[in-house]
Amino acid sequence: MRRRVVIAVMVAWAVSLAPSLGAQRGQGPAPPVAPPTPQAASPIDVTGYWVSIVTEDWRWRMVTPPKGDVASVPLNAEGTKIANSWDPATDGSCLAYGAAGLMRIPTRLHITWENERTIKIETDAGQQTRRLMFDKTQATPAQRTLQGFSLAEWEVAGGGRGAAQAPRTGNLKVATTMMSGGWLRRNGVPYSENAALTEYFDRFAAPNGDEWLVVTTIVSDAKYLNQDFVTSTHFKKEPNGTKWAPAACKS
Amino acid sequence: MKPTTVGVIIVVGFFAVVGVRPASAQVDLSGMWAPIFHEDQIERVPGPEIGDYSGLPINDAARMRADSWMSSLLTLPEHQCKPHPSTYGFRGVGNLRITAEVDRATQATIKLNTHIQWQEQEREIWMDGRPHPPEYAAHTWQGFSTGRWDGNVLVVTTTHLKAGWIRRNGLLITDHATMTERFIRHGNYLTHIYMIEDPSYLTEPLIKTNGFALTLNPAMPPYPCHPAVEVPHDKGEVPHYLPGENPFLGEYANKNNLPPQEVRGGAETALPESIKPGFKLQATQSPKPRAQGPEPRAQAQDVKSLHVQGKVWMLVGNGINAAVQIGEEGVLIVDTMTDTQADKLIAEVRKIAGDKPIRWIINTHAHPDHTGGNAKVAEAGESVVGGNFAAQVGQAAANSAQIIAHENVMKRLVAPRGNAKPATGLMLPTDTFFTEENELYFNGEAIQILFQPDAHTDGDVIVFFRKSDVVVAGDVFNTLSFPVIDESGSLNGIVASLNRILDITVPRDKQEGGTYVIPGHGRLTDEADVVEYRDMMTIIRDRLVDAIKKGKTLEQVKAAGLLRDYEGRYGATQGTWTTDRFLEAAYRSLK
Repeated sequence: MRRRVVIAVMVAWAVSLAPSLGAQRGQGPAPPVAPPTPQAASPIDVTGYWVSIVTEDWRWRMVTPPKGDVASVPLNAEGTKIANSWDPATDGSCLAYGAAGLMRIPTRLHITWENERTIKIETDAGQQTRRLMFDKTQATPAQRTLQGFSLAEWEVAGGGRGAAQAPRTGNLKVATTMMSGGWLRRNGVPYSENAALTEYFDRFAAPNGDEWLVVTTIVSDAKYLNQDFVTSTHFKKEPNGTKWAPAACKS
Repeated sequence: MKPTTVGVIIVVGFFAVVGVRPASAQVDLSGMWAPIFHEDQIERVPGPEIGDYSGLPINDAARMRADSWMSSLLTLPEHQCKPHPSTYGFRGVGNLRITAEVDRATQATIKLNTHIQWQEQEREIWMDGRPHPPEYAAHTWQGFSTGRWDGNVLVVTTTHLKAGWIRRNGLLITDHATMTERFIRHGNYLTHIYMIEDPSYLTEPLIKTNGFALTLNPAMPPYPCHPAVEVPHDKGEVPHYLPGENPFLGEYANKNNLPPQEVRGGAETALPESIKPGFKLQATQSPKPRAQGPEPRAQAQDVKSLHVQGKVWMLVGNGINAAVQIGEEGVLIVDTMTDTQADKLIAEVRKIAGDKPIRWIINTHAHPDHTGGNAKVAEAGESVVGGNFAAQVGQAAANSAQIIAHENVMKRLVAPRGNAKPATGLMLPTDTFFTEENELYFNGEAIQILFQPDAHTDGDVIVFFRKSDVVVAGDVFNTLSFPVIDESGSLNGIVASLNRILDITVPRDKQEGGTYVIPGHGRLTDEADVVEYRDMMTIIRDRLVDAIKKGKTLEQVKAAGLLRDYEGRYGATQGTWTTDRFLEAAYRSLK
């Protein structure tokens, strides 16, 4: 009796593997297949025109807050000192448009594939361009810049049994270093050149059909912050770029 | 076939099924999560400022409602222990604990529970595919939530919410709001995205996000709350500002040097260009009240039942409610719906009560949507007749149920206004009273029948089942529309009746559950829902009294839009009870 049950379980295991075994039967070594490009492998489409919908931190994002108003930002003493020394005459500086603060700026995004391994994000506010590179062999640049050096990867959902039947989905993860330092807010709330930025881009459709992009931003900066500064910023898809309104920042 | 062969087939079948089963949860959200206050910290922890509506897609009705909000409202005992609704709770303070309940046999997730410390906001997210309850079921602070996985993202849909906050400065959503959420785990961070839709107060979905960090701190202390009178108020007083009299609305913009129009909110104020010079904000209009009446009634032609608690059931048919108490002695029915619905009502009673005799009927008032089925329902019942009573009514009365009502119901039925035919025979009450209260002890519980003078009509009663802890309100309370006030009723009577109900109701905990209230029309409710309606009626009454004192005519009152903040939820432009008709009746009764 016990032996029959064991046999039954083995038969069942064999049946469950049958498709994969069958796929290999009678075949020699499979010819090498080039992995799909990041563009071809993308589980979500982040491209298009997107607009900030500022339902959060309105007073700190839509207008320049007063000097020293650092509400919500976990600044340490050194960071607070820098924020308190901000010169209001520098309002509008491009320092507010660096990678660590850019997503919180009320803006439109134009996201495209610059090539099949690089996503380009342009903003009309401050006219900035970020490049998210999937090629991890890319050499780290020697010089720090406002937008830094961003390496991207897809995080694909699933992987469990039966996942092949589920729609392919996931998110974009971006790690940015080599930033030159800048402001988390337009009133000079600082992040340092040592800051590291981790971002997750998630896209989804709302029940009413609107398409949304939510960017979760984690700024790690031991120099000016007591802890990671974590925000999530939402953008609504626009059909085209007719509302694109470039406005330069003060360099 | 030998048993072992059967076993082989079962086992093989099991593995074959498992091999093609849909992907289930890919991410474990369980654990203790600490809220991150790096967004909206000022609004979320110390609290928002009065008049700050910036960036929110509210309409003019929501703005008017918030403008009239006075924080002293929260000193009323019935407002003190309200938890945040799930539409706001995730922005509040205190850790969030997420746990999963798994079926032992299949290991499938039945539900996820979330618990937030402040006011013990406990929530269930059903993952087992169950449907949402019917529209007439009770609403709760956390609502009814179902979840599904979209890849690694938990997507949650919530309905059956109570009216609650979107910002703690009087910006509210109605109990018609729904919410869609996405829980996304990125390492040890959790991004919570939520979108609220409310046809009454939002012109487009409101989207917000919250961040949480996984924490090893397991602290989740209890949060008991017991309301008490902290500030003396007159009975029935509801603190609020009359239109145009809130002195604090301009402070926020002035203090922070912000453009005054933008801080008044509206969907456009969330756009980057709204702050730029030359941008003109469009006026955000209130939604037009539904033309066909407050809620579709046609879809509920069948009479359906919902067990409330104890021995009491709610019956719902064509937008009209009745109630049934069932016990060893038989069946008691409060209101009999219309003549055409009576057969369906009886059939539903038979379904839930079997062949137990219908002994008693109580009419909450005289209108035909609550007494029209008297004859059929009475005829389907039977009475215990004997003694002097038998001498008075005759032994034939044993062949029908007895009908209790206030004597003014009898007067209206035998001499109805307009062209209605006078009621006769079994349509009429057999047992009337003219006092403030009538009592009955049936099926092992005390039943109080409490007269409510000059409210919806001149013969209203509310019925309190003391052991079951259920109040049947009749038409002094109606969650579908502004209250109907007939020629013999009054707005002050409605307000007094609602306060009388609140004298009876006791919530179980956190202003939820406990005593349930069945309205004459609409969904099952508890004290918090009656409070919401009572507050509205009191505020409207105060506005009308103020307008009358200032010498405003009915036409001027109509033109002033004094009901604008409630009209999207409770008003109607067509149908039997329009906003104008309510306003006319209320104004007349206060003049």
